[in-house]
Amino acid sequence: MKGYTRYFGGKLVWFLITLVCAFILNFILPRLMPGDPVAGIVSRLAQGLSDATGVQAIYEQYTELFGTNKPLLEQFFIYLRNVANGDFGFSISQFPRTVADVIRASILWTVCLQFPAIIVGWMIGNTLGALAAYIRKGFDRVLMPVSIFLSNVPAFGMAIILLVIFGVNLDWFPTSGGYGFDMIPNASWDFVWSVFIHYQMPFWSIVLISIGGQAIGMRSMSIYELNADYVKYARFLGIKDRKIIGYVFRNAMLPQVTGLALALGTMVGGALFAEIIFSYPGLGTTIYRAVLGGDYPLISATALIITLMVLIATFAIEILYGFIDPRIKAAQAD
Amino acid sequence: MRYLIQQVFRSPRFLFGFGILMAMLLMVIIYPLIVTYPPLEIISQGTFLPPGIYVSVYDSIDPANRYILHLDDATTKRIASKLGDDDRLAMQEWLLAVGVPENEIDLQDTVKLLEQWENHFDPTVKITGMTNAQRNYYIRLNASLDGILSTEGAIIAESNSQTGSLEQKDIVEQSYYVNVNQVPNVRVLPLGTDNFGRDVLTELVKATAVSLQIGLVAGIIATMIGLILGLLAGYVGEVVDDGIMFLTNLFTVIPTIVLLILISYSIGQEKRGAVTIAVVIGVTSWVWTARAVRAQVISLRNRDHVNLSKLSGHSIFRIILRDILPYIASYVVMALILQISTAILAEAGLSILGLGPRTTEVPTLGLMMNWAMIYQAQILGKWWAIFPVIVVIALVSFSMNLMNTGLDQVFNPTIRD
Amino acid sequence: MKRLTAILSILLALSILLGACEQATPTETEEVAVATEAPPPTEVPEVEPTEAPLSAADIAAALPRNETMYFNGMQWGPVACWNPYNANCNNAMAIVEGDSANFVMFEAPYMYNMLDGQQVPLLADGPWSWNDAQTEITYRIKDAAMWSDGTPVTAEDAAYTWATHVKYQTNAGGANGPYIDTVEAVDEKTVVVKAKLNDEGKPVNPLIVKAFLSSTYIIQKAWTQTLEARVGDDIAAFNADTAEDVVYSGPYHKFFTDDTKVVLIRDDNYWGQDASMWGKLPVPKYIAHAIFKDNAAGSVAFAKGEVDVSQQFNSNIQLLWLNYCLPISTYLPDAPYGIGASLPTAFYNLQSHGLDNVAIRKAIAIAVDYPTIIANAMTNQSATFDQVPRSLMNPTPGEQLLYDRDAVADLQWAGNDIEGAKALLDEAGVVDTDGDGWREYEGQKLSYIATCPNGWSDWQAAIEVVAAAGAEIGIDITTNFPEWSVYQTVVTKSDTPLAEGYDIFMMWSAGAGPTMPWGRIRNLLSSEYVGMPVNWNGNWGQYSNPEVDALITAIPGESDPNVLKGIYTDLVRIYLTEVPSFSLMYRPDLFHAVNETVWTGFPHADDGTDPPVPPMVCHRGYSVACLYNVTLVNP
Repeated sequence: MKGYTRYFGGKLVWFLITLVCAFILNFILPRLMPGDPVAGIVSRLAQGLSDATGVQAIYEQYTELFGTNKPLLEQFFIYLRNVANGDFGFSISQFPRTVADVIRASILWTVCLQFPAIIVGWMIGNTLGALAAYIRKGFDRVLMPVSIFLSNVPAFGMAIILLVIFGVNLDWFPTSGGYGFDMIPNASWDFVWSVFIHYQMPFWSIVLISIGGQAIGMRSMSIYELNADYVKYARFLGIKDRKIIGYVFRNAMLPQVTGLALALGTMVGGALFAEIIFSYPGLGTTIYRAVLGGDYPLISATALIITLMVLIATFAIEILYGFIDPRIKAAQAD
Repeated sequence: MRYLIQQVFRSPRFLFGFGILMAMLLMVIIYPLIVTYPPLEIISQGTFLPPGIYVSVYDSIDPANRYILHLDDATTKRIASKLGDDDRLAMQEWLLAVGVPENEIDLQDTVKLLEQWENHFDPTVKITGMTNAQRNYYIRLNASLDGILSTEGAIIAESNSQTGSLEQKDIVEQSYYVNVNQVPNVRVLPLGTDNFGRDVLTELVKATAVSLQIGLVAGIIATMIGLILGLLAGYVGEVVDDGIMFLTNLFTVIPTIVLLILISYSIGQEKRGAVTIAVVIGVTSWVWTARAVRAQVISLRNRDHVNLSKLSGHSIFRIILRDILPYIASYVVMALILQISTAILAEAGLSILGLGPRTTEVPTLGLMMNWAMIYQAQILGKWWAIFPVIVVIALVSFSMNLMNTGLDQVFNPTIRD
Repeated sequence: MKRLTAILSILLALSILLGACEQATPTETEEVAVATEAPPPTEVPEVEPTEAPLSAADIAAALPRNETMYFNGMQWGPVACWNPYNANCNNAMAIVEGDSANFVMFEAPYMYNMLDGQQVPLLADGPWSWNDAQTEITYRIKDAAMWSDGTPVTAEDAAYTWATHVKYQTNAGGANGPYIDTVEAVDEKTVVVKAKLNDEGKPVNPLIVKAFLSSTYIIQKAWTQTLEARVGDDIAAFNADTAEDVVYSGPYHKFFTDDTKVVLIRDDNYWGQDASMWGKLPVPKYIAHAIFKDNAAGSVAFAKGEVDVSQQFNSNIQLLWLNYCLPISTYLPDAPYGIGASLPTAFYNLQSHGLDNVAIRKAIAIAVDYPTIIANAMTNQSATFDQVPRSLMNPTPGEQLLYDRDAVADLQWAGNDIEGAKALLDEAGVVDTDGDGWREYEGQKLSYIATCPNGWSDWQAAIEVVAAAGAEIGIDITTNFPEWSVYQTVVTKSDTPLAEGYDIFMMWSAGAGPTMPWGRIRNLLSSEYVGMPVNWNGNWGQYSNPEVDALITAIPGESDPNVLKGIYTDLVRIYLTEVPSFSLMYRPDLFHAVNETVWTGFPHADDGTDPPVPPMVCHRGYSVACLYNVTLVNP
């Protein structure tokens, strides 16, 4: 057990160090971008003003508001203090909205789109991959090239193809928005249905692409495990086929689980193209617009969310591994 | 080594992928030799000309190339092209609305229908419930029907330089034909033109070449960084390992796409050439290679032959080069192929966001898609400007991934069929 | 084996199920959204009991299609605030001031009609009048005019609005400050706008005083004071206030906003149903704007009939009716489909090497292939320069008549004149001396960078054609597309020479308005903007010509049409001779395409309305009249 404590302790320390560094990077990187976003706001706000002093006065008020007139280090500590209090400040590109408000409005859409899409893609992919490895023959011959091809259609390409075929030509699904263009969010079945059908195209554009990659990975891992020595040995011992296969797929799953966790961690920025092409609300386009608008409070905050999610996902996986992977178990027992 | 290569070329998957890739490479190399037009030349005034053979009208009316054919269905075809079934129904609708009895309207009797139309159509009449779009439609229809039954030829006139009046020079009869092969100016546009009025196929070939180069440069950079860091982390271990793993973790935690967008944006469009984009992609995508190489090296580092080398006092450099690299070479090749295909996808993605290479110098697959989408090719049914590009992107990375799985089977005996 | 298949099929079934049941998640979150969104209707106290406050059940219903008019192309991100003093609320459906101001939620005394150039009374009662010295404008506010809280609109409101603009240095205050001295309430309903006077005792600019009447909202004094109490004297706090409690006078107000749409609902107590104004309520009960992420998504929705009025650049719009037979139409049935009102213009940086030479400027301008720009970049949604020869006027008949077209005919160019350009350069001694294929001027190769913001697609395509022209005449022109956030800060900084990379760059010109074409000419040519730290007005190439300045200054005070025509012709002559900038195309102020699936009766050419309703997406300037004229296709 002492081994475990050391193992987890070590992981935790690295986790924290990474978090701190990522936090600092999230703060610094956007602020290294060229251009002065505050000047951007001021030039919008001061469009009519002809005298330099008036413009300068407004500019100073805004640099004060965003804190850009202070040295970077001081800005960092102010930022740190504010974040600790849960205050991310004003968004620059969507001023006077606050960063928290902007993120609150879009994050649920992203999570609701991505979370099921990743899980479903992962499940279908792994099921198909496992079947391909087990059945081989025709199934494998057809499935493999098809999944490889699917996973290589670029994300936006897949979105456009779905849009044109199912949205424009067949007119089966709505092409834009998160719910009916003629609806106001409410608690009715109509609304649920509207959200559901608007959800389909962005959802499948993500799922179709991810199936391929998962299937390929699972298939390789399964074949690898099926040919492993322990399988032969188990067969030799006369253990039932079923039981062996149970072990085989459990082992093959392990790396796939890591993939799943990471995919869940990075999901926040991942659906950018589906969001753009289907005009689906979400964080992906929020980040993208924030970058174009030089909106570093917003970039830092969204990047921080992603960082936290990835870190938590990886940390959870490593902890989980410590318990279930016999190899790590063995290593800790030393 | 020879055996291995033989094995590789016996893998059907590898061969298939390799075949596709080679076919595209050949196309990229040979096509420009045959079609020498500059890929970015704006040739059409007007956007998205459909695929087809474009014949100079001016050259076609030259009497020297003139043939007379008497074809029975010529008139019918000519009328049908201007007056379809839908148009006839619409005419009926109008006639009914202005009070022509239904039994007097015969949709198939073109002459009578046109006569009725001429008598009853009046663009100024306001029919209740008719939208402006419908009204415009009828006005257009009316204009296109003008002279539809004419059997006269088209007169070609020339303006007199003294008086300025038009003088008849030639008549082009309806029975005149021209042999396309004899017209000096014919341009075949197999994929039409794009929003700038550029020849899509010529541009696509060039773009494929550029995208492959971007992929190659980015792939090599990413693989090199990943390989070096992976080797160091895996073999040296200890503090170096911790440091490098920390770095890779950091790169995992900050998502690649956000990083790519940030960096490309910061570089600014004026400095974003194809090579710069390739470097940016390469520098941000080495993480997985590094992790994988490290894992491989760790499993190798305590093998007997490595230990033997250590005991013989060989330098780290030599051990890595001689005793470790050869064992992971196959793996690195596979990683490289994957990196190339992801880099091509990444370039396309960046360009879609308007953060790709600058437009004027070279076309890339991503830029072509971006512009086609800006001018809404996908919605207007201008498939030739966008779908060939998607297919090429998908095919390039598909072929590479196929090759990769083929290689995988050869190099990894455990997963061989 | 069997068990394995069973497990796998369960997995598969589970995955599909999960895909289905996950749908429940978003709705739960939306319920919360409803709860927070419910208050707005009750926030606005309804004075008369005729309209019952909206109950939760009403909100729960979808917007009935035949009571809602949908727009696109104006709102590209979520609404940030509802403060009519703040020009940056990103709230295009409710708050846009200027020559073609938005009059659905807030109202000005007058509405500008870009088709006939008249100012139609809105809050004001009848036409305004100058005093004899042309130093004061007097107008009366309609007796019927009411705020949404039921109190009457008074002259005091108008006066206080102006005072607030000045106090908080808003855009409107800054833009009009040099020309308007005070706005005063003479009595309850009578307003006097006093012009600032120059040394000679004449108004600095009577045209701008006049334009002020239709470009600036009147905002309630009582609410403004509430706002001031909240923010104190802090300008930043003033602009940061989201003003959800704002009191308005227009026919619509906030109903719902989120990241995907903005919906305004009609106020059935709107004062304008009084016979002294419209005599009825606007027809659509709701007006809504879906937020699309790009043009393509907006176009799809428009083609599908989910958008009624489209203000976005729909490439090749004619295909929608020609090829797809959709019930879509534009103001004009054929190209250019709309009324061009502004002149997207390529400015020369007059400090760049060689661009101080007229011959080089003119050579580039006449070599450019304008027909290709118009056909490809604008997909023919612009009049050609053959149809409307270039000048400083927009292509509307009214402005075209203001100058003598024939007098400057010999200065015109239609573009694509490669030989002429070469001859011009040769004549000026700008030739290729070292044989590298590029011409030199004063011993230095002519090499320029042509710039416009990244993502502004039609401009980018146009500037590519400009660059292509350079190569034809031996001048090296490459293109560069910086991001807008960088571009705007460089171009609008007129107190220093432009940065490198901005030799030829595109910006807009003013559209239609009560001060036009004078205002546009001033923006294009006046040297008063050179030296401004933030210059959003014009002359970004920093051209300076005292003769032009004198002519521009003379126009506002001039009333004799013949003298004016002479001045305008002189200005056009100088513009075409000196070529400090050149327009690349004509562009409508707002694109205006309509899908008549649900609504019809939109303005189109010769629609018989008098005064003619302009195609300004049914809510800008006098175009708001369109909301009262539309009818259902299938009632």
